Amino acid sequence: MPGSRHSRFASLHDVELCSHAATGERRAFGELVRRHGSAVRGVLRRMGAQSAEADDVAQDAFLTAFERVAEFRGEGTFAGWVKKIAARLYLRRLQRDRKLGLMTAEPVEDEAEAPRGDADATIDLEEALKVLGPVERLCVTMCFGAGLSHTEAAEALNLPLGTVKSHVKRGLEKLRTRLAPEHGVVLEGRRGNG
Amino acid sequence: MVELDFERRLERLFADYPELPDAGSFAERVERRLDAGWTARRWLIGAAGVVGGVIGASQLMLSNVFQRVETAGDSARLLTSSLNHISTGTDWVAALSNGGTAVWVAAGLAVIMMGFVLTRVIGEI
Repeated sequence: MPGSRHSRFASLHDVELCSHAATGERRAFGELVRRHGSAVRGVLRRMGAQSAEADDVAQDAFLTAFERVAEFRGEGTFAGWVKKIAARLYLRRLQRDRKLGLMTAEPVEDEAEAPRGDADATIDLEEALKVLGPVERLCVTMCFGAGLSHTEAAEALNLPLGTVKSHVKRGLEKLRTRLAPEHGVVLEGRRGNG
Repeated sequence: MVELDFERRLERLFADYPELPDAGSFAERVERRLDAGWTARRWLIGAAGVVGGVIGASQLMLSNVFQRVETAGDSARLLTSSLNHISTGTDWVAALSNGGTAVWVAAGLAVIMMGFVLTRVIGEI
C-alpha cells in the first residue's frame, strides 16, 4: 500500500533515504522531495525566479539529484546539495534565455527602495531582498541560501571572483541596513523545514 | 565579529523557509515524472531487446543455420557409423546422430540463459 510505504520512509534519515533512492526506490526519493521541496523552491524564488519558473527548475533539480543520488555521500545536507544543483540549473536557464548577461551588465544602484507595508509589521527576508539589484540578489542568495562558495558562484555566473565578492559585500550592506532592528525585523527567522 | 554574527543570522534566515501549502502536490508531480521516466526506460530496453532478437533471428535464418545443423547431423551420423566400425560407439556421439538433438538442446539453454541475463540487466537498471 503506498501510504504505508510513505510512513515507513517518513521515519528514515535523509542519508538512509538516499541509499534507498540509489537502488531505484522512487518512493524513498519522494519522501526527500516532500521534506525539502519547499526549501529548494524557496531558494529559487529568492534568487528572483517567478513561482512557476521556480517550480519547474526545482523539479528538474530533483530529477537530476535522483539520477546522481549515488554521488551524494552525506557530506553536508541533502537539501544543501539539491539547492546547489537548483541554483546552477536556474543560472543555466537564465543564460539560455539571455537574461543573465543583461542582469550582470545592468549597473547596480546604490539605494533601492522596496515597497513597504505596515511599518510595525515584521519585514521578512523576501521583502529585504527586494532592496538588492538582480545580480546582487543572485550572488547573495547563491552564497548564503544555496551554500556556494564565492569561487563556485563566480564560475557559475561566469564573472570574475572580485566582481562576485563586491556584489555580495554590497548586497550584505544593503541587507544589514534593511534588516536592522529599527526596521522591526526579527532576525531569528521563521519556522520552516530548512 | 559583528559582521560574522550578521552573516550567521542571515544564513539561518535563508535556511528557515516555511513549508509551502502545495508541498505535497509538488512532491507528487516529481514522483510522477520519475515514474514516467522509469516506464519510458523499461519500454526502451524492451524495444531494444525485441529489435535485437529480430535481428539475431534474421541473421540465423540468413546464415542457413538450420541447413548447417542438418549437415552437422549427417556428419555426426557418418562419424558414428565410422566409429562403430572401430569401437562400440559412445552415447554423446549417438545423441548427435539423432537429428542434431544436442545442438537444439544447447540452443534452447542459450536462449534461456540470455532471457535470464536480460531480466537481471533490466532489474539492475
